[in-house]
Amino acid sequence: MLQHDNVVARTGRPPGRAPGRGASRRGFLAGAAGVATAAASPALLTGCGSGGGSGGKLTFWNQYAPQRTEDPAVQRQSQWFIDLVDQWNATHDRQIELVFIPNATYTDGAKLPSAFAAESGPDIFLISPGDFLRYYNGGVLTDLTPYMDREAIADYGDSLETRTVDGRVYALPMEVEPLAIYYSVSAFERAGLSEGDIPTTWDQLLDVGDRLRGNTRAGLAFDTEPGYYQNFTWYPWMWQGGGEVFAEDGSVTVNSRATRQALQLWQDAVQFGIAPRTMPAAGDLLNAFQGDNVAMWQSGIWEVASFRAHAPDFEYGVFKLPVPEGGSYATAMGGWAFCANAQGKDPESAAEFCAWALGTMDERCIDRMVDWCTVAKTDMAPRESVLELGEASGGYDFWAMKKFRDEIFPGGRGEPRYPPVVYKALSDAIQGSMLAGRDVAGQAERAEAAIQAYVKSYEGASLI
Amino acid sequence: MSETIAPEARTDAPGGAEPRRRERRRLSRKHREWVAAGLFLAPDVIGLLIFVAVPMVLSIALGFFQVSGFGSYTWVGLGNYERMMNDPLFWDSMRITGLYVVVLVPVLFCVSLGLGLLIKQKLPGMAVYRTALFLPYVISLVVVGLLWKFMLDDQVGVVNRALRSLGMEGESWLGDPKFALFSVIAVMVWVMMGYYMIIFLAGLQDIPAEYYEAARIDGAGPWSTFRNITWPLLRPTSFFVLLMSTVAAITGGLDLIFVLTNGGPANGTSLAIFYIYQQAFGFGEYGYASAMGSFLVLIMVAFSAVIFAVTRGGRFDNDS
Repeated sequence: MLQHDNVVARTGRPPGRAPGRGASRRGFLAGAAGVATAAASPALLTGCGSGGGSGGKLTFWNQYAPQRTEDPAVQRQSQWFIDLVDQWNATHDRQIELVFIPNATYTDGAKLPSAFAAESGPDIFLISPGDFLRYYNGGVLTDLTPYMDREAIADYGDSLETRTVDGRVYALPMEVEPLAIYYSVSAFERAGLSEGDIPTTWDQLLDVGDRLRGNTRAGLAFDTEPGYYQNFTWYPWMWQGGGEVFAEDGSVTVNSRATRQALQLWQDAVQFGIAPRTMPAAGDLLNAFQGDNVAMWQSGIWEVASFRAHAPDFEYGVFKLPVPEGGSYATAMGGWAFCANAQGKDPESAAEFCAWALGTMDERCIDRMVDWCTVAKTDMAPRESVLELGEASGGYDFWAMKKFRDEIFPGGRGEPRYPPVVYKALSDAIQGSMLAGRDVAGQAERAEAAIQAYVKSYEGASLI
Repeated sequence: MSETIAPEARTDAPGGAEPRRRERRRLSRKHREWVAAGLFLAPDVIGLLIFVAVPMVLSIALGFFQVSGFGSYTWVGLGNYERMMNDPLFWDSMRITGLYVVVLVPVLFCVSLGLGLLIKQKLPGMAVYRTALFLPYVISLVVVGLLWKFMLDDQVGVVNRALRSLGMEGESWLGDPKFALFSVIAVMVWVMMGYYMIIFLAGLQDIPAEYYEAARIDGAGPWSTFRNITWPLLRPTSFFVLLMSTVAAITGGLDLIFVLTNGGPANGTSLAIFYIYQQAFGFGEYGYASAMGSFLVLIMVAFSAVIFAVTRGGRFDNDS
């Protein structure tokens, strides 16, 4: 019997293969593997590639555009970015390409930090105040001051405070988003409450919340999930009692009466069952209001656009944050800012773009910002001239926007730019007192100790 | 023999020397098989080297640097490990991970084994049950997280609604530190039980039917049959499930935590893997995160070694 092995041994070729000069099966497989590897290598390498974009285009990472969506509010925002970049590209040699990063990935995710860690960050990107110091201290923010009009810098006023180091501007805000409390008119009416019962003090806030709560309805919703956003929504309660994380001289002052009473307010709201331990409707404010799962909710001005787009018939109200006894009104104001990567492929052009888009006194620049703050979104404008033009053009005529403009916005403070260790110490104090019911004094003390230890070895721009 | 070869080797005739030289260079059959084996293994080995071994080595090395997250690396030696030893949040996360592993692994083991025993029964429609029970495993953990977030909602979640309909008080399953970790464990068991159920089913089907037949003839009851036949003969499968679920519990669950609780409430679900992720990608502390990651790997290896030692690697008592 002719064995397979015998054929191979005798002829050096597998059975069934005719003798000749053709490639062996092994040779073919080896060759194919080589070709496949060669073909796949560039794809694999580019898969790990940079955020530097194709060709010589500057990349602009953002969470707005370009995206396809049925949501009219999101469509308007996306179109604003597309128009902005089209206008630039039509008049400048250095072209820009928009890169859309979904919100969750952009703000809380690993996308932006990973790109910078791999030294392939985008040329232009959006940044929130909470991230400012980390990127500034990392040396990746370009000084935008030389590209801006002096008049425009003055026009920004206090809005630039948390984006400035030693008088130099490193990020340009496109919006200002103050916090307030939204409420359901229907829930108020069913509880026998009216506009006259809108709380102006913390005690009233808890009382009203208590009257509004039900089995499936939270009286008042504070943010419950640990993160930069929760801290952002908590700061005004601390500020209202005169509390600060850092004093003017840079010393740590977090363990104060004001901090403790702010922590106590949130703890009481949860412990008395007025505020829920998790966000109603998984954090979807509109659904929660429409489903009658919440009566009052602390949130920002951006919700006006959401109501307008998705629940235009829902009857809601908004009021400024109540103050503690002996305290004074304050609210926190967030908002995104443009910045240019100092390690990008053309930092000068990127900086020029940021300044051209938001930092000149040119009429088109101001119109563009009015459009963003009052048409594409519902925000307060970060510049005085934009705010005035927005008012003149009727951008703040809608009752809710007027309320924000006249009552809520004045007295607002920019979101602090605390680095991660400071954020985490405060977050732990908020979470520990609010949800674990721990002693507020101990939490404030622990936060102060952690921040003090950090500040001793901190090297970088001013924390305030 | 040498006399026969030697004259041939000296042959310098133009037509005869070249084929012989080629013949001498040809590899033996054994060597050719080695080469073939190497070529077949190469894609996997190269993949493992590039995507596992190299990143692992780099990660261990990164643990000795302070990394700014913007391209700056500063040698700190054991500085990150010292910091880790003095970081109460890290040790809190280790404690939570310990509790998570100690509860999750046995519960998952028992539920999966129980389901494996149930679906081994020959009943009509069993394929449907098997598929239904396996289904959660193929769903993305992010989707699972969102799904359960709604189901465990304080006010309108089905769990609390069901409790209220029975006259009981609803709880904040994800917002109360007393319950949050156990809620995450329950969701994880729901996700993973189908996979380990199938593994157990395969193990159960490997046990010869004759043994059960003999036990039945000897009058053994269900418990006695399980204890004396099923359990001992499932040892290799049990070992596999125990090892894999322990490793998965120590190093996994990040995506579920991320969606369900984001590490809250009050760090109550901040597993070590979540804390490491937060330090790396939230705070840009890549060096510190790498040091903690390396430490976690050491813990995992130690656990695996203990499991190997205690179960004798899943071998039967009479195996050498």
